[in-house]
Amino acid sequence: MSTQKITIEYDDTTVRYFMIASVIWGAVGLLVGVLIASQLNFWQMNFNMSWLTFGRLRPLHTNATIFAFVGNMMFAGVYYSTQRLCKARTASDLLSKIHFWGWQLIIVAAAITLPLGYSRGKEYAELIWPINIAVAGIWVIFGINFFWTLAKRNEKSLYVAIWFYIATIVTVAMLYIVNHLSLPTGPLHSYPLFGGVQDALVQWWYGHNAVAFFLTTPILGIMYYFIPKAVERPVYSYRLSVIHFWSLVFIYIWAGPHHLLNTSLPSWLQSLGMIFSLMLWAPSWGGMLNGLLTLRGAWHLLRTDPVVKFLAAGVTFYGMSTFEGPLLSIKSVNALSHYTDWTIGHVHGGTLGWNGFMAAGMFYWLAPRLFKTKLHSVAMANMHFWLGMIGILLYVASMWVSGIMQGLMLNGTNEDGTLLAYPNFLETLQAIRPMMLTRVVGGTLYFVGYLLMVYNLFKTFASGSPVNGTVEVEADEKTIAKIEQKFPGFINAPVLYSCGLILFSCIWMFGDGIWMILGLILTIAVCVAAIMHFEIAGSKWSQWYDQLLEHSYVFTILVFIAAAIGGAVQIIPTVTINRADNIEGRIQVPYTPLELAGRDIYVSEGCYNCHSQMIRTMVSDVMRYGDYSRLGESIYDHPYQWGSKRTGPDLAREGGRRSDDWHYFHMINPRDISPQSNMPAYPWLNTADYDLKALPAKIDAMRRLGVPYPMDLSEEDIHEQARAQAIEIANGLNERGAVTDENKQIIALIAYMQKLGKYTDTTQVTMNPTENQE
Amino acid sequence: MAKITPIRESVTTIADDGGRIFLHPADVRGVFTNWRRIVGGLLISIYVLLPWIPINGHPALFFDTVDRRFHIFGLTFAAQDFWLAFFFITGLGFSLFFITSLLGRIWCGWTCPQTVFLEHVYRRIERAIEGNSAAQRKLDGQPWNSEKIMKRGGKQVIFLLISTIIAHIFLSYFVSIPELYKWMTMSPTEHWSAFLFVFIATGVLHFNFTWFREQLCLVICPYGRFQSALIDDDTMIIGYDEKRGEPRGPVKDPNAGDCIACNRCVQVCPTGIDIRQGLQIECIGCANCVDACDEMMEKVGRPKGLVRYDSLNGLSGIKRRIFRPRIALYLVMLLIGCSVMAFSATKLKQAHMSVVRMAGVPYIVQEDTVRNAFMVRLINKQDLPVSFTVMVDSPIIHDKQGFEAPVTVPPLGEVVQPMVITIDRAEFTEKFSFDVKAVDSSGEIELMRNAEFLGPILLPSS
Amino acid sequence: MSKQNQKPDEPKLRPHAYDGITEYDQRLPNWWLYTLYGTIIFSVIYWFFYHQSNASMSDVEKLEVAMMEIQATKLANSIDVSNDDLFYEMAENATFVSSGESIYNQYCMVCHGPNLEGITGLGLNLVDAEWVHGGEPSKIYQTIYDGVLDKGMQAWGPIIGQKSITEVTAFILSKKE
Repeated sequence: MSTQKITIEYDDTTVRYFMIASVIWGAVGLLVGVLIASQLNFWQMNFNMSWLTFGRLRPLHTNATIFAFVGNMMFAGVYYSTQRLCKARTASDLLSKIHFWGWQLIIVAAAITLPLGYSRGKEYAELIWPINIAVAGIWVIFGINFFWTLAKRNEKSLYVAIWFYIATIVTVAMLYIVNHLSLPTGPLHSYPLFGGVQDALVQWWYGHNAVAFFLTTPILGIMYYFIPKAVERPVYSYRLSVIHFWSLVFIYIWAGPHHLLNTSLPSWLQSLGMIFSLMLWAPSWGGMLNGLLTLRGAWHLLRTDPVVKFLAAGVTFYGMSTFEGPLLSIKSVNALSHYTDWTIGHVHGGTLGWNGFMAAGMFYWLAPRLFKTKLHSVAMANMHFWLGMIGILLYVASMWVSGIMQGLMLNGTNEDGTLLAYPNFLETLQAIRPMMLTRVVGGTLYFVGYLLMVYNLFKTFASGSPVNGTVEVEADEKTIAKIEQKFPGFINAPVLYSCGLILFSCIWMFGDGIWMILGLILTIAVCVAAIMHFEIAGSKWSQWYDQLLEHSYVFTILVFIAAAIGGAVQIIPTVTINRADNIEGRIQVPYTPLELAGRDIYVSEGCYNCHSQMIRTMVSDVMRYGDYSRLGESIYDHPYQWGSKRTGPDLAREGGRRSDDWHYFHMINPRDISPQSNMPAYPWLNTADYDLKALPAKIDAMRRLGVPYPMDLSEEDIHEQARAQAIEIANGLNERGAVTDENKQIIALIAYMQKLGKYTDTTQVTMNPTENQE
Repeated sequence: MAKITPIRESVTTIADDGGRIFLHPADVRGVFTNWRRIVGGLLISIYVLLPWIPINGHPALFFDTVDRRFHIFGLTFAAQDFWLAFFFITGLGFSLFFITSLLGRIWCGWTCPQTVFLEHVYRRIERAIEGNSAAQRKLDGQPWNSEKIMKRGGKQVIFLLISTIIAHIFLSYFVSIPELYKWMTMSPTEHWSAFLFVFIATGVLHFNFTWFREQLCLVICPYGRFQSALIDDDTMIIGYDEKRGEPRGPVKDPNAGDCIACNRCVQVCPTGIDIRQGLQIECIGCANCVDACDEMMEKVGRPKGLVRYDSLNGLSGIKRRIFRPRIALYLVMLLIGCSVMAFSATKLKQAHMSVVRMAGVPYIVQEDTVRNAFMVRLINKQDLPVSFTVMVDSPIIHDKQGFEAPVTVPPLGEVVQPMVITIDRAEFTEKFSFDVKAVDSSGEIELMRNAEFLGPILLPSS
Repeated sequence: MSKQNQKPDEPKLRPHAYDGITEYDQRLPNWWLYTLYGTIIFSVIYWFFYHQSNASMSDVEKLEVAMMEIQATKLANSIDVSNDDLFYEMAENATFVSSGESIYNQYCMVCHGPNLEGITGLGLNLVDAEWVHGGEPSKIYQTIYDGVLDKGMQAWGPIIGQKSITEVTAFILSKKE
């Protein structure tokens, strides 16, 4: 054996690229955020231009901050730390380049298509299908590059940061692909494969875990690398890393349905969403504790080092958000908070506090090291920190107050509980206006702080010159990882006990009668056996785990299984169950061609960003909006449009409530009808034509997805039906002084609005079969 | 129980097996301890007394959630004024920023309810029943004999009683005291939610103050951490003068520094750290170690202040800057917040009006008129009935239906009434806004709301 | 961070260092673990109670009970609104009529005038013989409840409720010649 040393040069160019991209996109994302927050206060800020309206820019804001800002930041952190934790250069420079430029191209494409109104109509999944394919492709390239690097590593085992990166890569791939399954109707448009409740469930399985596996786990990995680096202290607890990593990966995925509490989602799913969110509290805090207690040994650095300031505050915000999250998942709390600004405040506590501050900490630490220089100005970095803190304080506090206030007003009834205290939705909007304004102030302060960072970082870059890190490894070390030992990756006590526990508890939870009892007994038996076995052979288990860390592929497969179980248990029964069994006695009347065209306009304008279509099983919802929504009433909705925020009122039963001309005038300028409304005006709906030509392809796609359009409906029939309905509506409008013609988008949209809430009662048919025969 | 020797690498209160190590801080005497007791006593009496002191006929602080009226030091707020809570929250935030950058974690050590109740109520009782820290430790190690059962059981009972009282006082900020007393004498089933609240609050308080204690500051509380991030070299903290103290050694050792290694500072620390190891996450700035060290220094005839309130600059011999740009920034923000709040609070009327368009259609056109209908809501926040005259201020509007006579709004009540405005169709060219004004009979309260008058719009033909 | 001279009190470092990062292996506070166990136990109980014990109602059932209670409150304060005779009886009852009158004065007088004679261009005359939207008491009740949107009368049902509308109807009938 020779002990010759080889010098490896890390690829830090890619890291610099991703870092610069993140810094720039972050500024864009925050700027759009400030703009759309202002739009909620001043409708004039929509500028009466289609591509600047709130409904189209809000998706741009979320996508930019999640995928462009945090995405690039995550890649920078992952590329930097993985190479060093593996003592190996990234496997392929070519793949790194494709990854970087591909990702930026995707962002540019998103920044163009979203304002133009090309949208799939699902939150954080709005991008159209060609971009979806690109995202999946680039992600796979990232994955290949990452795992290839792991394969080439000169470090025997995997550090905890790598565990989190692995979880991120496999889980995001799974979530992204399943939630983006669609049927294209043209080069820029598609319908999601799932509809109604299935789509809702898949969407929030994805949406919630985008938070978990895009905004949380990779940042935790980054925390585990950069905090010990920045404070030069050992990580507080390895065993805590193990416990909280596995519990987080396993539990997080189950919690998605807490975004759909009190809706028509089947109650067993709602309960799962709630209880798993509560169980998530301790694992999340485990991560916070490990970061915090690692910092503890160097607490004095907090007063001098802006990096440590940002990291410590970031971890604290993580703790606050993950405490608030389970709280908001409690059904009765959610009844107040859901659809209000409280949720917005909660999310921004996490994104501004945890993601934004962790990113800033990482950037301030990386910049001098990547450019071999000193940070341009520590004072400016401190200023950034204080401005950021004030910004978050103003933002979160105003959203708490606003959310609780509006929630109380919307749910308030008069003394004998038979009437709503504030029947007019606008009155509740008026009440929170001062708060929405303060939110803008807070966001602006945060943005100004961020700009200081941008300036500071670019000054730092300019003052140095790029350098790449190097490491010396012994030549024979390279072979260590390659030695194949016999390793019982799957067939061993901890894995088998875990599988048994999950299997039997599922039998117990979902089984009936004898199965339930059997499952319960077996669950307890396995539990007891596992504990006893652990007492005897615990050290063997930890030996096994140490060995597992040397087998990255086995580790990856186990992570994938742990992350996949929750989704599988929730989604597979819901998707495979015969749709007819899951309609609660009502079935939606399929949209006519014109209404379908209108619905596509509704989706494309992003109406779901402010309007829900879901009357929850709550007294106040029913009193305000009508009978609670049944599953069958959105069964043909691809995508579902239940919504997640009510900046305006619910629209589930809007059809027939108001006259066509009411809608017409309201769309042209909402304030003509409802003074004090903050909805944007949509004058172009009356100048642009709806897409009549695309309808046959769309109806064909719908038919393939299971919507019962007659098979013999020809292209001409479709055009004819659409035109006939449009002419009727247009004539009615023109008679009432609402000038328009039958080709305009507004006609289609009105047709759709008037259809909302129309259903066939199936119980009548099935319950009285004899009567029908007579 | 072994003597604790704090190290920087792990948390003193967590044992190697993950169990909890209970701290029994030793008694401490001194000037800061005395002042802290006075402050603590003052704060507790304020907490207890506020619901009893009437101002303008209501308790000084009374949040009447049932009627959605909030009485704060003589002012009454309605649900519509709830947004003022924002100033309260951010005001607290900025005060925290300001005070922390000036004085460090003074809030934690002197005024936080956690510290105040724990140090001045619960620990005092513990001391009275179980004896000093040595006795408490001895009791820990004892088997469960009658003495231990008596002492520990008695302590728990008293603690539970106090927790119940604190919870009830808290509730009395939301339910008036006579009402609360009535509820207390009734069966819990009559007021389930209140009972449940007190039950749970008592449980949480009891758990926190008897068992959880400093863990709350260490793990749960985010403010402590944010405060640490707000500290800089000029902030006043509690620190150990390393230059003077090191190397530690016995009094007689001529080569040793001033620290006599008596460990008193560790023994009195309520969070189990050794202040001589520098600034730490657990330090709540309670000044116990300052008093303890001063006492020892006095005994051995050395100058006080080996452990003292000072800035890190001060401790290392550099002059301390009190006024720094950020201090000014926080002060300005705080002052802006305070003045906006004061301004809005004074502008806040003892009544409130809202004008909302009637549901259904936006306007009605008849042969030669256009008509808009509104619902006007008048809210009276006073204890007396107030009668309002409602007027419309616009050169175009001549015909107003509704509010022909003054409307009397009952005390703390509200009235909703329609108002219909009609104008000549010929006069309507485009929508316009107008003011609705309500004046009370004395002319003291004047409310103003803006409303829009809508009519048929003639769109440019497309 | 290599292994410097470790003091005996110090927790042990794990043997491996990654890019200079070392790890302790200290125990967590047990109370943290117990919160995790606690939430698991709570979840089991919650699941059993709501999904396996049959002891609890579903959300929909709860909602329906709540709506039923609201309905009951409304019914307790109302009469059979399709029964015209009852309205006539109420119109004879001074208590009903006087509370109906105060509601009328608050909400209806604006358009229908102080003596129910109507206001030209606004509300219709309620004391003459002509009933545009139906003159039977139950029809009058329904008209108030649902409003006449085209003519600018809003639906009063969700605003003042069934009881008040019943009383107003009685008041109007009492004024009818």
